[in-house]
Amino acid sequence: MSTPTQVVDHSALKVNQTGIIATVLVAFIGSAVFRPLLVLIPLLAIALLLGTFAPQLALFKQLYFKVLKPRGVVKPRPVQDRPEPHNFAQGLGGVFLAVASIFLIPLPVVGLALSLLVAVLAFVNLAFGYCVGCQIFFQLERRGLIRA
Amino acid sequence: MSAQLWALAVVGAIVLAAAGLETFRSRRARRRVFAASPTPSVPRRGAAPMNGEEPYILYFTGDSCTVCRTHQEPALARLGDVRIDKVDAVNERVLADQFHVYTLPTTVVMGADGNALHINYGYAAAPKLERQLADARGAGLRSAATA
Repeated sequence: MSTPTQVVDHSALKVNQTGIIATVLVAFIGSAVFRPLLVLIPLLAIALLLGTFAPQLALFKQLYFKVLKPRGVVKPRPVQDRPEPHNFAQGLGGVFLAVASIFLIPLPVVGLALSLLVAVLAFVNLAFGYCVGCQIFFQLERRGLIRA
Repeated sequence: MSAQLWALAVVGAIVLAAAGLETFRSRRARRRVFAASPTPSVPRRGAAPMNGEEPYILYFTGDSCTVCRTHQEPALARLGDVRIDKVDAVNERVLADQFHVYTLPTTVVMGADGNALHINYGYAAAPKLERQLADARGAGLRSAATA
């Protein structure tokens, strides 16, 4: 097995996950009293999808690289790793949030449930290091549906 | 507010269902491995065993597995002088299928005779692996005594 030669800063991933959880929670809880806060869900979907295809546009990662890391607020944690599974997981989160955005007005329960599910999975990754999107990436790679 | 509560209930149900499904999958995979007759066995790979006939660990991993590098490998390193056979689950699919590897990491504690004794789907902590290795050593001694 080839050891990944790329280095992924896991602190950037953690900041990204924290950003996702915080945004979804603000939208989820806040929308109970101020419904327009639901707009955060489609905005987050756009941020995640943009960040998947153009890492320089990844909102939370850029917050980490441009603000938190230089100021020493969050210490870097470089790990020999592949960025593809993480990008795939982020893209999957973006797709789920995009689908959630479609449902938010006609079927708010479905839209909110999908959004909350993304936040729960981000929390599982943040707290326990278990990345569901990465496991899906492994299954697709194993079946030859994704080539690294 | 009721939409938020319903959404919370739906997500709670999904999380519970996912946890139940994961438990079912791991039990089914383990049952299939141990129900196979004979139990899947693997000839020793690479160099000769370090400590004579000792149990060893078959460690299924992959490039896409982050938990493997951040959690599983440090746990395996804590086991000390134990032979670890690293297997790429994507490239060595036949072997991975033999042990019904559906998630990474997967660790298999192999007896000294090369038969699978314990399988852990997902991250396995060092104390758990140590217990399983101790059990495998005990099984080896029992079979030697009855031979």
